[in-house]
Amino acid sequence: MNKPIPTSADGMSRVDGRAKVTGAAKYSAEYNQPNMAYAVLVGSTITKGTVATIDTKAASAAPGVLAVLTYLNSPKVPGHIPTKAQKPSSKSGPLKVFYDNKILYNGHPIAMVVADTFERAQYGASLVKATYNKEAHDTQPPKNITQGVGAWGGKDFTKGTVDAWKTAPIKLEQEYTHPSDVHNPMELHAIIARWDTPDKLTVWDKTQGTQATRDDIAKAFKLKKEDVQVNSQFVGGAFGSALQVWPHEVAAILGAQVVKRPVKLVLSRPDMFTSVGYRPYTWQKIGIGATTDGKLVGITHEAVGQTSSFEDFAEGPINTSKGLYASPNITTRYKLLSLDVNTPTWMRGPGEATGAFALESAMDELSYALKMDPIDLRMKNYAKTDPDNGKEYSSKFLDEAYAMGAAQIGWENRQAQPRAASQNGWLVGYGMAGGMFGAYRDVAVIKAMMKADGTLTIQSAVSDIGPGTGTAMVLIAANKMGIDAGKIKFEMGDSSLPDAPMQGGSATVSAVGSAVHDACTVLKEKFQQLMGNGGTDKPDYVKILKDNNLPSLEVLTKSAPGPDNQKYSMQSWSVHFVKVLVHPATGVVKIDKVACVADCGKIISPKTARSQVVGGAIGGIGMALMEEGIIDHRYGRYVNNNFADYHVPVNADIPQIDAMFVNKPDPYINPIGAKGMAEIALIGMAPAVANAVYNATGKRVRDLPITPDKLI
Amino acid sequence: MSDKKPIIPPNGEGISNGTRRDFIKQTTVLTAVAMAPGTVVKAASDHIDEQIAAVFEKMPLKMEVNGKLQNLSVEPRSTLLDILREQLDLTGTKKGCDHGQCGACTVHVDGHRVNSCLTLGVMVNGKKITTIEGLAKGDELHPMQEAFLKHDGFQCGYCTPGQIMSAVACIREGHANSEGEIREYMSGNICRCGAYPNIVNAIQEVKAGGQTV
Amino acid sequence: MKQFQYIRPASQAAVLDAIAKSGSKIIAGGTNLVDLMKKGVMSPDKLVDINSLPLNTINTSPKGLHIGALVLNSVLSENSLVLDKHPLLSMALKAGASPQLRNMATVGGNMMQRTRCAYFYDTTMPCNKRTPGTGCGAMGGYNRMHAIFGSSPQCIAVHPSDMCVALAALGATVTIAGKKGERHIPFTEFHRLPGEHPEMDNHLATGEMILGVDIPDNNFAKNSYYLKVRDRQSYAFALVSVAAALDLRGGVIKEARLAMGGVAHKPWRLFDAEKFLAGKAPTEENFNKAAQLAMQSAKAYEYNAFKLKLAPATIAEALKHAGGLA
Ligand SMILES: Cc1cc2nc3c(=O)[nH]c(=O)nc-3n(C[C@H](O)[C@H](O)[C@H](O)COP(=O)(O)OP(=O)(O)OC[C@H]3O[C@@H](n4cnc5c(N)ncnc54)[C@H](O)[C@@H]3O)c2cc1C
Ligand code: FES
Ligand code: FES
Repeated sequence: MNKPIPTSADGMSRVDGRAKVTGAAKYSAEYNQPNMAYAVLVGSTITKGTVATIDTKAASAAPGVLAVLTYLNSPKVPGHIPTKAQKPSSKSGPLKVFYDNKILYNGHPIAMVVADTFERAQYGASLVKATYNKEAHDTQPPKNITQGVGAWGGKDFTKGTVDAWKTAPIKLEQEYTHPSDVHNPMELHAIIARWDTPDKLTVWDKTQGTQATRDDIAKAFKLKKEDVQVNSQFVGGAFGSALQVWPHEVAAILGAQVVKRPVKLVLSRPDMFTSVGYRPYTWQKIGIGATTDGKLVGITHEAVGQTSSFEDFAEGPINTSKGLYASPNITTRYKLLSLDVNTPTWMRGPGEATGAFALESAMDELSYALKMDPIDLRMKNYAKTDPDNGKEYSSKFLDEAYAMGAAQIGWENRQAQPRAASQNGWLVGYGMAGGMFGAYRDVAVIKAMMKADGTLTIQSAVSDIGPGTGTAMVLIAANKMGIDAGKIKFEMGDSSLPDAPMQGGSATVSAVGSAVHDACTVLKEKFQQLMGNGGTDKPDYVKILKDNNLPSLEVLTKSAPGPDNQKYSMQSWSVHFVKVLVHPATGVVKIDKVACVADCGKIISPKTARSQVVGGAIGGIGMALMEEGIIDHRYGRYVNNNFADYHVPVNADIPQIDAMFVNKPDPYINPIGAKGMAEIALIGMAPAVANAVYNATGKRVRDLPITPDKLI
Repeated sequence: MSDKKPIIPPNGEGISNGTRRDFIKQTTVLTAVAMAPGTVVKAASDHIDEQIAAVFEKMPLKMEVNGKLQNLSVEPRSTLLDILREQLDLTGTKKGCDHGQCGACTVHVDGHRVNSCLTLGVMVNGKKITTIEGLAKGDELHPMQEAFLKHDGFQCGYCTPGQIMSAVACIREGHANSEGEIREYMSGNICRCGAYPNIVNAIQEVKAGGQTV
Repeated sequence: MKQFQYIRPASQAAVLDAIAKSGSKIIAGGTNLVDLMKKGVMSPDKLVDINSLPLNTINTSPKGLHIGALVLNSVLSENSLVLDKHPLLSMALKAGASPQLRNMATVGGNMMQRTRCAYFYDTTMPCNKRTPGTGCGAMGGYNRMHAIFGSSPQCIAVHPSDMCVALAALGATVTIAGKKGERHIPFTEFHRLPGEHPEMDNHLATGEMILGVDIPDNNFAKNSYYLKVRDRQSYAFALVSVAAALDLRGGVIKEARLAMGGVAHKPWRLFDAEKFLAGKAPTEENFNKAAQLAMQSAKAYEYNAFKLKLAPATIAEALKHAGGLA
């Protein structure tokens, strides 16, 4: 309980930190090629219909312009990019760029200008003029949202009695909405495409999975996998936006084909709103009921999530209600609403972050209805086995996390009565909420090679979008091999390296880290065998290689989940505590104090783990207080597609954040005992803020974000 | 294009250093072309020669970047950011928005932090530019770089060069006297990964260390 | 961005010559103009860089404090004369943009910056300010940031500046140069309301330039406050901002100055509220009454109705700070 709070200086610094602080780290757009050309996309200015005419004459004639691609002249992509969204029902599937004249959403790419400089390509793009046959569009979620939504979205689920919450003595039913949030990583999505021969391609591409991208590009262009090389050494954030191949990537590859030069395409910030997915607008309704002493009787969680007219993107907002509390009766319903918009995608804490906002707000509302402390209410309904499937948890220390967080925030200072505390003219409120996310382990392969000079090289195709994958891997290897971390090099971000899953679902350390652990175990055993007599636990690798006249020793090890991964329910847990100050006259909310606790198994790399929790909390603060992609539905067009109008937190919004860990290894998930933490760092933060705002003001905001206008 | 002969003077190299007027004097073809860029663009589209337009519309730019004098020929519309990244291959300076809304492109011009994406290259003629690549002394990191490493002032690292350039300026300007002041004066640099508290810690450490930055 | 000619004249006369043609535009810090040129909202044929002119001085003059048009927003915000005589101006400047942008932005450019209305910025949308006659996209659209005072059926955009709100409150004068010589106009009459011609932001004629502003001496230094309410704590435009200045003597308000940002096509002076406060005691009750008075002509649209509540709350709050009650 009285563990010291980790500080930003604790633990080993990042292995790639030096590259990042000196500007040496190169991101996808930064591999300038000889004779490289620049591509700029032109998006449609209508939302639905067809292109009637497209005039590219002026653009083609502009200085430096090498080509203007449209559906009229573009080479067709021989295959298709497979959908990453759920199986399309009757929908046409992922957008085929420059394929036909159909317009599916505002900003749909209708042309691409390729020129010898960026400035010229951009100016050329401004000269492309299209006329359209407009059709009526719909981008606005209807008021009575449950009417007329698509049937698909997964089966309704019931445990126990349907809608049993209605029978409870204390009950409430509320609707919550979450606007579309855009990932907006700082690095603009970018690709450099270079055809090495007519059937061999190299790309430097922003991706969370070099091999998945390689496979999808190979499929689309009907190339052999081994003839597609994907490099993604450094990724400037993604949060889910780089989990699939998007039309702009295909477009750049086409452009390189046409101009027979390497082509660089960097999306603009406005493009980022319509090209690489977003967290979908989601309407939710929670019915929740409890006995007078706070035992849950039932939860009903309904949700409708926005998707595009051409792909069904479904996620799991309702899963939160299936798994977070030991309610005897649970009903969930989830539907999709198709609109004339681009397709959403996973964004940090996909589904669960949205779901937790509704459920954890409703739990807070229930706690006030019961006049019960919100932590007590949660403990009263603490799930000891998975309420969804009855499985035992591989590990769960959420109760400890509650206690740690409460102590750190000073929960005892919270007034049970809303709007009862103030400080220098500001209202004071405390709130808390929790989150959970499945803990996974995928198959991964690692090559580990010990060289004569005692340095160890480890290789994996994995990308690192920021969590510090290389650092964690080096620490695992150092620990296993018993050598100094400085002697270990982790090579990654290259599709030709050993197989790794995409960096998503907080599963990289679990999968790739386990493979590093296993590979190092095998490698060390090899050395021990060479030593004979069972070896020692601290082999002198240099000496053994020398004695055996070996230049190096290497292993290629595949590591996979076992039966335990099926047997147990595996989840990561988090709880966020927030103290807010709200100005009673202007409605301004200041986050005053934050304490986050993660129960995500063993902490491999304390410094980067802490940063991840801090970063997730800040993402959650953005979601709570300011993020909202806004479309003018008359035009179907974004009106805040930039960083001045789509607000994300800035430094002044964020206080010190206490990030803590239960740090108890999970005995079953994998050999290293680590569960995922990226998603749970964010999940639950937004409701914690909303609950704190209620505690401060007595105003319950159920439609995110909580901007000042909603509090005055 | 490659088969067309460029109608630029044999001493074409001098063009980038001379003024536009000098250049026009040197060529007979161009004196026939009106001054307005539009005409030149039209000349180009009429296939007189594209390369005329290219040279005609460029201007000399002399600046010192990280201590090295650069003699360039740039279009007036090229921003300092694009010149650094695309022409000088100094890709440490990042583009996050291209509109002054994120701070990823922060560099020092004559010691002051500015957004290079809104700075026209021609407007920094004669000035000294420092980018992230110019901060360390050889292998020895700048104290702010060290502090960012130690306090993990980043995750993905994309905003980091801008943050560090801003952080150095923040101390130099005298705006690092309290946590609150640092937060306010570092608010022109967005970090989507959310490294803000760590960045503040790094700056406070450097400030407290009292080293010259 | 379209190609353009770039020149950097060495004299004021040469600048005035160069800007006589309508396709020419002055560039100072570039933070607004380059932004708009990248968006295709403005596309001058010629940029006239005025940074060689000696317009970057701050000095006391018989008229008060003179500030050259090229003084950087950052420099101005930290200037000791400003901090001493007109802290309100410093507060307003520091509430604007970001440290980097303030290192580029000039006084003249700040005054001349255009609205941040999304419809103005997006060349595919209607906007009478950008393209007269196309209609006002914001009127029936997303108008959360828009005007509650002085708008016209043609335009409901707001002027985004913070600095200008303070200068309006402080009763500054603008010095303008043209081929015919110099002229001076009160700051409050520099910017205009949209009326039938929203394409015109202010009364600067083609071929004219701003040389600087003068702030008359006053007794507001001790009791002034700039309060900016925005969606995040920094680096965001105002939902509503208020510059409040009180000349407090012996427990009585001798003179009050109030101006608002984020509510109109120009910095909005609250003359009625000022008049009401003159001679009164600096009490919360009087501040609230003044705030209500200020709202008399306010009119809201679909998404900005909250400003009808937020604006008076912010006025009262700013007054409380200025008057030492908060
Ligand atoms: C992301 C972002 C956020 C911002 N946030 C804020 C904010 O919160 N508050 C705020 O107040 N401002 C804000 N700004 C705006 C900023 O203050 C202005 O862009 C800046 O003040 C303009 O000054 P400049 O010198 O760069 O002007 P320029 O871009 O050089 O010029 C702007 C206009 O002024 C004209 N001009 C310049 N000088 C003169 C002169 N002497 N005479 C005649 N005409 C002249 C130019 O022709 C041009 O039309 C923000 C800007 C950005 C990009
Ligand atoms: S790239 Fe310059 S501020 Fe974003
Ligand atoms: S470190 Fe990724 S954006 Fe700051």
